[in-house]
Amino acid sequence: MVMEISTSDMKRVQLFEVIGRVDSTNAAELGSAMDKSVDDGKTNLVLDLGGVEYMSSAGLREMVRVLKRVKRTGGDLRIANPSERVREVLELAGLDSIFEIYPTQVEAVGSF
Amino acid sequence: MSEVSRLAIPARLEEVRHACDFVVEAAEQAGLDERAVYHCQMAVDEALTNIIEHGFAYHDDGSEIEIACQAEPDRFVVTIADTSPAFNPLLHEAPDPSEPLDSREPGGWGIYFIRKLMDDVSYERANDRNLLTLVKRIAARRSAAPGSAGDARFPARALDATAAVISPSGRLDSSTSLSLEQALEAQLASGRTWLYVDMTAVEYIASSGLKVLVAAWRRARERGGDVVLSGLQPRLVEIFEMVGFDLLFQVFPDLDSALAARPARR
Repeated sequence: MVMEISTSDMKRVQLFEVIGRVDSTNAAELGSAMDKSVDDGKTNLVLDLGGVEYMSSAGLREMVRVLKRVKRTGGDLRIANPSERVREVLELAGLDSIFEIYPTQVEAVGSF
Repeated sequence: MSEVSRLAIPARLEEVRHACDFVVEAAEQAGLDERAVYHCQMAVDEALTNIIEHGFAYHDDGSEIEIACQAEPDRFVVTIADTSPAFNPLLHEAPDPSEPLDSREPGGWGIYFIRKLMDDVSYERANDRNLLTLVKRIAARRSAAPGSAGDARFPARALDATAAVISPSGRLDSSTSLSLEQALEAQLASGRTWLYVDMTAVEYIASSGLKVLVAAWRRARERGGDVVLSGLQPRLVEIFEMVGFDLLFQVFPDLDSALAARPARR
């Protein structure tokens, strides 16, 4: 297993829990999992990165692409529980000011 | 001369991971800390991905990319050599992290990260190959000697022969937890077993910080003392509750109330 995504359909939110490593070989898979929800009209998304031990810019690119897409329809993509390292990378790319980032999944889901 | 380890991978994206594993292992052996190892891994990943996506344009003609890692006393050097057309990534304009969402460029972040994560990056074209050299400085080995720079960032103040106040600040993560550990250990070693850790200025605590607190708590309790926390910011309270530490530690809203609750000395 390199990356695993589990999707939960919650009342107001689609929750994506990602485990493993997100890089250029599988970032598109993560993007299309989120796209599928948006296609179904579900645009309030929470991406729980608690299990992500590593993420390259390919993963960030997908996150930004999906964020742009859901913002157009009044939705949002919010991030929960990034590791110290992933958080640092988000900050380096200036994404901490573009994404709402929550320390826990509960808070991210509850923020909608 | 220092030892060089080498790896060649076919120019395919699914091979990049092996190169990452290889670099992680070499960086760990070179004595880089966890954060620096992560930086090296990401920089190499981004560099190789760029070469495969743009240099070879996904055209798998059996070409290989060579990665060499060299550990020197004060720096870790990764050299990446490939035979794709001459391309100097350093001449490309970097994207701007302060751009708002709407005007953000999707691409160009790979080289941006490489430059941010590494201490020095250079490019040359030689013998029909692109040579990219990435350098990560190795921080001086952190010594546990008292009075080292680490202690200064987390001031400690002795109250008497048995108690002290320690005031960490900023982020308690893998790069700073050692300083906290040293500060707490220094007090325990000098017989002060009541450790009042004032967390007012702590913005964030990672698992490494939590681990240090628990270890100190255990040692203090063995010696008849305790670790007493105060001034936790709401975000930290939440983390503490999540991991059940609120049940382990005595927690007070501020240092004054923590000290007021101090048991009378025998």
